[in-house]
Amino acid sequence: MSAAGSSNPEFVVARVRARRGQLYGDEEYRKLVRMTPAEIARFMEESSYETEINALGSRHGGVDLIEYALNANLAKQFEGILDWSEGALYDLIARYLRKFDAWNVKTVIRGVYTDASQEAIEVDLIRAGEFDDRRIRRLLEADSIDAVVEVLEDTIYGDPLREAYAEYEETDVLVPLENAVDRAFYERLLGDLPGGEPTRQYEAFLKAEVDFRNAANALRLARSGAEIDPAEYFIEGGELFTRDTLARLARNVDELVEYIAESGYADELGPALRELEEADSLIAFEHATDAALLAYGDRLGTVHPVSVTPVISYILAKEREVENIRAIARGKEAGLPADDIESELVIT
Amino acid sequence: MLEATNALGNAVLSTGGTLTDPSAAAALAVGLAALGAGYAERGIGSAAVGAMAEDDDLFVNGLILTVLPETIVILALVVVFIV
Repeated sequence: MSAAGSSNPEFVVARVRARRGQLYGDEEYRKLVRMTPAEIARFMEESSYETEINALGSRHGGVDLIEYALNANLAKQFEGILDWSEGALYDLIARYLRKFDAWNVKTVIRGVYTDASQEAIEVDLIRAGEFDDRRIRRLLEADSIDAVVEVLEDTIYGDPLREAYAEYEETDVLVPLENAVDRAFYERLLGDLPGGEPTRQYEAFLKAEVDFRNAANALRLARSGAEIDPAEYFIEGGELFTRDTLARLARNVDELVEYIAESGYADELGPALRELEEADSLIAFEHATDAALLAYGDRLGTVHPVSVTPVISYILAKEREVENIRAIARGKEAGLPADDIESELVIT
Repeated sequence: MLEATNALGNAVLSTGGTLTDPSAAAALAVGLAALGAGYAERGIGSAAVGAMAEDDDLFVNGLILTVLPETIVILALVVVFIV
């Protein structure tokens, strides 16, 4: 509910563990891969997505229905977790869930920039972060980027956006605004974390995520060979890269791969890196980082049973489930064979 | 919470006098055991309510697990009959 008072990990962890049991397992995925989008929607209606499918069923259909139901369910579950938790626990969970705020801000900015209709923007929002409905409504009603920045004035995105807005006005590209939002999020993510061993584990996980994001960005830049300054995309807080090493390594794929292979992540990412060298495929690398994060998240769920870590572990598993179902539905819509879709899924 | 219990125990012990009376000591033992049980039930109870909120069938399990620490108090009560 709020960051005041003592935290209540027992309650939140018990609820989250029960929810975790409802997530789809191997068996369900194997069935889903062989269904049509309409069958997937029906299958979801019979499981924990019932309310969302029923609520959205009259307005949308097919893959859109699945997608919106997934987003709505994700938002509802994460809002619930934030509602239940109190004290230090709330702070730790909100740090991570603010990434949906960042996502929403970016979606609104992009929508305003491309003159999309209010409804079109609204369906793409994931209301899982800290912003309440009123702020989101005001964001949606904003008709210029200046107005969006104004609505966010009293949030953590206020000042960075204000600064980036000047740059945007000069160049008319969105990159400075989007970078400002991402940076504001990542700065708050790792800034003065409270003590305690479970929090250290959580911090290690967040750092790994930042490292992987940096590595993936660098790999993409290095392979595209575009003349973009890699330092522009650097995210602070990770352990693997500094701004300078990233800028230097992003010019050469081989050096970068070697650097990652010699780092602390060698065990998790080793096979994917070899594949990257042989097949030249970034997808395998990104899947490997996802799987490594998820495996790490699973471990987090059991090391400290009564702390923030099982909650984070659930949040990750849920996000992964939503992404997997979306991948299946989109793949089916595009007519991909079941085996191809299965290789796209990240299941532990 | 636990620190406070310790401080309370120390304070009572250091004043002496009354505690040489066996029944007073037994009463203190039962009281402290009850405090301990209450503290344990706080965590278990909130977890049990959380689990029940997700699944009503867990009511019986939750209830049993929540009152398990009460056994500490029952065992402590034995002391009262011994002295």
